[in-house]
Amino acid sequence: MLGLLAANLPLLMRGVGVTLMLTALAGIMATLCGLALAFVQLFGGRVVRIIAEICLYVVRGVPLLVLLFAMYYALPYAGIVMDPMTGGALVIGLYFAAFMAEVFRGAMLAVPQGQWEAGRSIGLRTPGILRHIVLPQAIRVASPPYINTVIMLVKGTSLVSVIGLSDVTFVGVQIVERTLAPFEIFGAVAVIYFLINFALSRCGIWLERKTGFVH
Amino acid sequence: MTFEIGLIGRIASTLGEGLTLTLELSASAIVLSAIWAVPVVLVLMSWRRAVAVAGRAYVEIVRNTPILVQMYFIFFGLSMAGYRLSGFTAGLIALTLQNGAYIAEIYRAGIQSISPRQTEAGLAIGMTPGAVFRIVVFPQALRRVLPPLANQGVVIIKDTSLVAVLSVAELTFQARLLADRTAAVYEIFLTLALLYLVLTTAFSALMRLVEWRLRIVQ
Repeated sequence: MLGLLAANLPLLMRGVGVTLMLTALAGIMATLCGLALAFVQLFGGRVVRIIAEICLYVVRGVPLLVLLFAMYYALPYAGIVMDPMTGGALVIGLYFAAFMAEVFRGAMLAVPQGQWEAGRSIGLRTPGILRHIVLPQAIRVASPPYINTVIMLVKGTSLVSVIGLSDVTFVGVQIVERTLAPFEIFGAVAVIYFLINFALSRCGIWLERKTGFVH
Repeated sequence: MTFEIGLIGRIASTLGEGLTLTLELSASAIVLSAIWAVPVVLVLMSWRRAVAVAGRAYVEIVRNTPILVQMYFIFFGLSMAGYRLSGFTAGLIALTLQNGAYIAEIYRAGIQSISPRQTEAGLAIGMTPGAVFRIVVFPQALRRVLPPLANQGVVIIKDTSLVAVLSVAELTFQARLLADRTAAVYEIFLTLALLYLVLTTAFSALMRLVEWRLRIVQ
């Protein structure tokens, strides 16, 4: 069993590279779009708020796999050709942006209204209140659910194996087809995902401590 | 490329077959996960340290690995070990194992949100521990557990789409077949997305109805 794993480790590692790359691209996009969406929901005008609300509703009610397939099958007909990496990162990033938006919005709303009033009473404007009062507190509230969403995103990247991107799941399937050793290989793939996510949750604990207030 | 509403009627019958299977899988996965989570939460909240640690290990492993990999592991692994499972069964097992872990955490949070003072009070007036749980803790925990349970149900409905990779002819699989055979991709995927949206919305509405029926009128 060890020989089998050792022989296939280089291939798996190449898959890990793709998974990490995809995670980074989609993660950055999800964070930025999620922030934008949260701000639109909180501060936007009525029309944009309703549009954002509808987008979030649709994304939350439809499986990621369906959106990936839709991108993979439908975009070429519209004349848009994307390589699987770009397309995958785009779809996964936008999909999880919806969940990130909820995390950020919830964190901002968790800061008591009185803090806003206090900021105003000492003469701060909205940007100043956000920067000095609300955001530092919101970040602390947001960091645990934020890391949870990133872990969901890492797990979600495994779906790109279905549209032909050679991430670690895809590589695992291919090795199993050749070696007929599903327990060992899928076990190893699961361990790899576990390690990535474990590292992420450690980061989360660190982040929480770092943004926390010393009492 | 144009959009033809008329085509939706022609793809409807094929998608309808898939819809039946998706409904069946969603319903069984939701029910089985909610049931499987009960022994898991008992293990998680056990007084014996070793038992609780084992439960924690299961929950952490399952929650930190993709359900797709779990499905492959169960489907190919068990068939290699001589137990031939259908894709439906393998998918159902994976969905139950994964979501059972999430739901167990929901149950745990619900039970722990009820103040221990209430348990102490119940014991102090001479109730048995079983009666305290049944009469004091459970009715309150149930109401707190319902909203996150509804969310998890929506996650399960969406995750049933993954069994398409095990060649189970559910909704997403049928849509993909249609997309391979015809060129009506816009119509197919729009209908598909709408169907999932209807399913998840209907489930959320159903759960809100249950919440409303169980509300405590003061």
